[in-house]
Amino acid sequence: MGCRNLDATLRLVDFDRVESKNVLAQAFVRQSVGKNKATALKQQLQNFFGLKVEAFGVRLVEANVAELLGEGDLLVDGLDNAPSRSLLSRFARARQKPCVHAAISADGTYGMVRWDEQFVPDAEDHSGQATCEGGEHLPFIGLVAATLALTIQEFVAEGAQRNSMISLTGVQRA
Amino acid sequence: MAILNITYNGLSVDYKTTVSDRMTDRDIRRVAIELIRSGDLPGLHIAHLPKDAFDSYVVDRLRSAWGRRGPSGREATRIYLRPKVPFGEG
Repeated sequence: MGCRNLDATLRLVDFDRVESKNVLAQAFVRQSVGKNKATALKQQLQNFFGLKVEAFGVRLVEANVAELLGEGDLLVDGLDNAPSRSLLSRFARARQKPCVHAAISADGTYGMVRWDEQFVPDAEDHSGQATCEGGEHLPFIGLVAATLALTIQEFVAEGAQRNSMISLTGVQRA
Repeated sequence: MAILNITYNGLSVDYKTTVSDRMTDRDIRRVAIELIRSGDLPGLHIAHLPKDAFDSYVVDRLRSAWGRRGPSGREATRIYLRPKVPFGEG
């Protein structure tokens, strides 16, 4: 949402479906519940803002990563698991594509936006750990999302690659 | 030497004194416990912080991309003790 002013085609990849709890913490509307997340967001971005968007409702795996992301000029990671983040990192490094990651702690008090060169994915403490859903951390998620959008905008405008860490005391940027 | 930054309970604070950049992760966790218990980190004073408070935390050591200079004028390492961030935006 924070990059809707950019003259770019967005390609969204997500196999998951929108659940009602997602409406409280993510950029979905109630009418999207039950739809594939990539498709739902594509429809919203096209209908509300007239953006150019492509949606792929599949899981990102080794077999499709090149086809899905090979044409991308910038890879943006908002994934929620370490294996998929690692796959994205490996692909970005192999193809020498710029890649920026956004990540949030389970308790919604800490986040980071970090370029791939200095990013190592964190695993969950235990499988099935509670995630940032239900709206409890919505303002903080918005802060992380805004920081990610700013980072992308700076990269597009001037090629800058600035890392940020976000806490409840503010955003610390390099 | 390195600048140590500790994040706990959503508060992020730089320790005013530089620390050795050769400290182990275990040492950093132990030092962080003592700093918070003693009140040496502004805004982060918890006298009875459990000794395992940072067991699941990550120690990041970053150099060039954060671009800060240490007291000697050399590029300083920054050490971040932070919560894990396994989750994304989607």
